[in-house]
Amino acid sequence: MTTLAKLEIVRALRNKRFMFFTVIYPSLLFLMIAGASKKTDIAPGTPLSMPLYYMVAMASFGALTAALMGNSEQIAKEREGGWVRQLRLTSLPGRGYVTAKIASAAVSTLPSIVIVFIVAATAKGVRLDAAWQWLALTGAIWAGSLVFAALGVAIGYLATGDAVRPLTMIIYFGLSILGGLWMPMASYPQWLRDIGAWLPTHAYAALGQAIEVGNAPHARDVALLAGYLVLFAGAAAWLYRKDTRTT
Amino acid sequence: MTATTAPSATGERADTAASPPVVGFTGVSKSYGTVRAVDGLDLHLHPGETVALLGPNGAGKSSTLDLLLGLRTPDSGRVEVFGTTPRQAIARGRVGAMLQSGCLMQEVTVRELVRLACDLHPHGYPVDEVLERADLTEIAGRKVNKLSGGQEQRLRFAFATAGASDLIVLDEPTTGMDVSSRQSFWGSMREQARQGRTILFATHYLEEADEIADRVIVLHRGRVLADGSSAEIKAMAGVRRISFTLDGPPDEAALRALPALTGLDVAGRTVRMRSTDADATVHAMYGLGLYPRGLEVAGLGLEQAFLAITDAATTPEEA
Repeated sequence: MTTLAKLEIVRALRNKRFMFFTVIYPSLLFLMIAGASKKTDIAPGTPLSMPLYYMVAMASFGALTAALMGNSEQIAKEREGGWVRQLRLTSLPGRGYVTAKIASAAVSTLPSIVIVFIVAATAKGVRLDAAWQWLALTGAIWAGSLVFAALGVAIGYLATGDAVRPLTMIIYFGLSILGGLWMPMASYPQWLRDIGAWLPTHAYAALGQAIEVGNAPHARDVALLAGYLVLFAGAAAWLYRKDTRTT
Repeated sequence: MTATTAPSATGERADTAASPPVVGFTGVSKSYGTVRAVDGLDLHLHPGETVALLGPNGAGKSSTLDLLLGLRTPDSGRVEVFGTTPRQAIARGRVGAMLQSGCLMQEVTVRELVRLACDLHPHGYPVDEVLERADLTEIAGRKVNKLSGGQEQRLRFAFATAGASDLIVLDEPTTGMDVSSRQSFWGSMREQARQGRTILFATHYLEEADEIADRVIVLHRGRVLADGSSAEIKAMAGVRRISFTLDGPPDEAALRALPALTGLDVAGRTVRMRSTDADATVHAMYGLGLYPRGLEVAGLGLEQAFLAITDAATTPEEA
């Protein structure tokens, strides 16, 4: 099973298009959006400066991309194409395929997080008060990306063929924008903010923001993310069983 | 045509019945909607056999293999592989299987994929050995999505034979291969058989079944139509071609009365007959005082035998 996981990881890291969108793209967005702002500009509705706000937002966005985009489309394709069927004719345990996919998502999110941090620190001079904050940030964003890896698996087992890409895109952009990864939610109308406050991406970015301020993540955000993890992983498990049930 | 008594459908043989079956189908049926793909199938494979599953498209070959591999569950009846469920047998590494279609993992190299197969198998072989045997060593560094059809088939074969399995199942394995790679493919298949493996392959290449298999099972409409050695199948289909010329005009009525005759065609002094028992026919012919010249007795190829059997099975139903 570890061989399959390793192979999935190697394949993800080798895929130039995927690496561009997960590693380079969030950093570019960071430079474009935060590039014009000064360290003294405060992101509306937060105690954070614009560069700090966008560093966490873009690291979260990159991790979301890596965790969600890679798996959903690939799983849908490999299910339809027959690769999953071929794997069922090996000794690989039933859940081995999904486990490998999640492992590969978990590994490919790391560079997307770290590169945004490096770009932010070098190009925009972002500094945090303590070294532990960098580690905690990386850890929190990385761990939180599991929620979206589970969502990716669920979509991969839900959608097929031509539907999987648009569906993934809608969810991806919806979560990114409404959850405040692209711009502070303070600029949204109230009703949109009310919706956004319940989205996993909002809680996800809030983890990092709390750490930047020097606090522990808020219990509400952690609980919300844990809830979504249970929901997505449960849906993924149910859809997976439905798909592999022999008829 | 009188050879309508379809051969025995059980597949049991006295000499091998003592050893436990590798595969056992007992009264297995499977329908998709209103289509009955497999219809009360009884089938037993014994250790060391090389068995061809032969039939036209829609005969139920792929469905039978799907049931055997646990990719589908039967509506009724029981499927056992090595005395357990298909899934268990596969998990224990006793079965290696190659599907007819379906993509492999993309964007990885041939070697990487073969290594995966070797690692997944509980008794996997060394990667280089598997590559060599499947004739993939030279293209080991190539990406899977850059392979030709024949190369991809060889990779599938490597995937199915990456470990020490006791049963190898192949669904139309030589599709897309040219003649020479087909030959070398069956060469490596024979090597697998020599090591005592049981091999089951579905094919519609009739000459393959004739050439490779020591047992041929003809499927038709989800049922076993014939089961035996290819020589037996041909004999069961009742077809030997007998031809000769006579000195005088042939007496058609007398010829028609010959034993075991299934077909007669008289053109001038030339006679062509078909017989289920050429020995008896020819013997009786001499008994009539005839002196055939240029007597030829030839067996039909499996293809014609097979057509004869399926013909016999469809005609009464469609009449």
